[in-house]
Amino acid sequence: MKPQVIIFGLDGATFTVLDDLVARGIMPNLGKFQCEGVRGHLMSTTPPLTPLAWSSLVTGRTPGQHGVLGFMQYANANSTSVQLVSSRQFTAETLWSIVNRQGKRAGSLNFVAHQPAPKIDGWVVPGWVSWRWMKRLSHPAGIIEQLKQELPGFDVKKLAIDFEEERKSVVGAPMDDYRSWIGLHIERERQWFEVLRHMMRKDPAELIGIVFDGVDKLQHLLWYYLDPRLTPEQPESEYLRIRDMAWDYFRTVDELLGETLDLYGDKSTILICSDHGFTATREVVYINSFLEKMGYLNWKPETEMVDDGSQELESGVYRHVGFDPSRTKAYALTASSNGIFINVKGRRDETGIPPQEYDAFRRELIEALLTKCVDPETGEPLISRVSTREEAFWGPNMHNAPDLTLELRDFGFVSVRRTNAIHAKRPTILGTHHPEGILIGRGPGIRSDASIDPVWLADIAPTVLYAMGLQIPADLQGRVIEELFTEEHLARHDLSMGGATEAAVAVAVPAGVPDEDTEIIEKMKALGYLE
Amino acid sequence: MTRERVRHDLVELLKDAREDWDHSVTVTDNTGIFNELGFESIDAVGLSSALEGHFEQALPFPEFMSKAKEQNLKDITVGQLLDFLMQNLESSAERKVA
Repeated sequence: MKPQVIIFGLDGATFTVLDDLVARGIMPNLGKFQCEGVRGHLMSTTPPLTPLAWSSLVTGRTPGQHGVLGFMQYANANSTSVQLVSSRQFTAETLWSIVNRQGKRAGSLNFVAHQPAPKIDGWVVPGWVSWRWMKRLSHPAGIIEQLKQELPGFDVKKLAIDFEEERKSVVGAPMDDYRSWIGLHIERERQWFEVLRHMMRKDPAELIGIVFDGVDKLQHLLWYYLDPRLTPEQPESEYLRIRDMAWDYFRTVDELLGETLDLYGDKSTILICSDHGFTATREVVYINSFLEKMGYLNWKPETEMVDDGSQELESGVYRHVGFDPSRTKAYALTASSNGIFINVKGRRDETGIPPQEYDAFRRELIEALLTKCVDPETGEPLISRVSTREEAFWGPNMHNAPDLTLELRDFGFVSVRRTNAIHAKRPTILGTHHPEGILIGRGPGIRSDASIDPVWLADIAPTVLYAMGLQIPADLQGRVIEELFTEEHLARHDLSMGGATEAAVAVAVPAGVPDEDTEIIEKMKALGYLE
Repeated sequence: MTRERVRHDLVELLKDAREDWDHSVTVTDNTGIFNELGFESIDAVGLSSALEGHFEQALPFPEFMSKAKEQNLKDITVGQLLDFLMQNLESSAERKVA
């Protein structure tokens, strides 16, 4: 059996890079693929962050509806406890479950927020899990042992995320380490693909989702080498050597796409999707230091002051313990979410502003962020957009989300460190997330060599269901991307709307954050989201 | 669920996570999971997810780890983990929120 739909996930992929690689002949399969299909921008969540974004793709909903709010989030709306992302945070049904209910099987590989793996009809090997726990956190029980026995070359240590190796990506690996670091990602992607191929032989499913996340990791570190707009007129040999190594990774991804087409391209609908796009970041904004200067935040005396210009965005004191909640009105909890929480009395504890002052204070804070957080050299605003939680997180989980979400002028992540300065230039250009991701679709009934206007992540789930000929739950927020399909196909295949989804149950765990969580968080910084 | 049953499941779960598990090791309630069984601090989060997955319910593992830190514990023993599980496997259903 061949899958009806394959979601071929490229974490952080952007046309900025892919078009250049296609033009250079480095990704010939992708070039052919998009000539035979439809492409367009796939708009991400606010903020454009991996856990929120992939979760929107697999639920057809915004983060306020699906419940995954960041790499770290408060346990609930009244808690001061912070949790790492997990499947327990979903409050909405996933695509895997929706197709199961309509008699189809699903396979999910390397999706974030999928541990412990949901017990679907099919198989789930989650992403963002260290190798020791892969066996326990995958589904069905025994799948990892089965792969070890049956799949030549399978190595769970190569498949799983390696926090120590990833750490090299941001601490500035010596030149000679670049090849091995990139090689590690090439090997990981091959491992994931071999798992897909093996599982489809042994235990086929109608819907497959797989995420290749090295795209994101390479782009964070090597953006200067990958963005063709930044290529020096006279590049030095070292530049060319690093770029060639990075291109090797993309050659591998293209080979995997080619193998996917060889295996399933005649029958399957294949949707190449990214969770967000990418762009350059050249500066750091120390947002908590700005809040301090505005009189909204007071640090605890013992909180470490880092040098102005520090490139580190977070430390172990990123949360309440870094500042004095009794004298703090607003704070950024983590770097990756670019979110600001307003400390409201009675919400999480008895510190903060009175609830009746919330609206006025929030207006004042938005005004300050947009007009007073400025480049000290030019006076230009550093923050280009501020979204309220009603705008970014509307839904049952809104009250657990940041009150404000910032978009910086260069789309970078804020730093939550304590500094004297509020702004610094980066010594080197790095990559950061951008809202414009990619969608390229090809398959039965899909138009050829066409492009469409931007669509958004939540549209993917209903579109997948339509392509599979299944009913689309009436309460999904996204829509079927009809413009992907030919008129003939649309005429022959009516949209079939079904009842509401089945709600997942989010489970909140009270209490504080252990040191071990903090350590993992430190290691996750290496992945670029947290830095 | 009896303490012995939970103990059995816990030890099996810990074994699963260690390919190089030394089967000659006798695990007692006083065995430290980090210093004696060789787990690293990074494994704590995976352990938390694995426990919740196995017992199919949420557990206040961060709270448990925070208390251990407050008490300046240098390690967490199998017995302490068992105490934690026995206490919370009975009550965690009440923690679920819609």
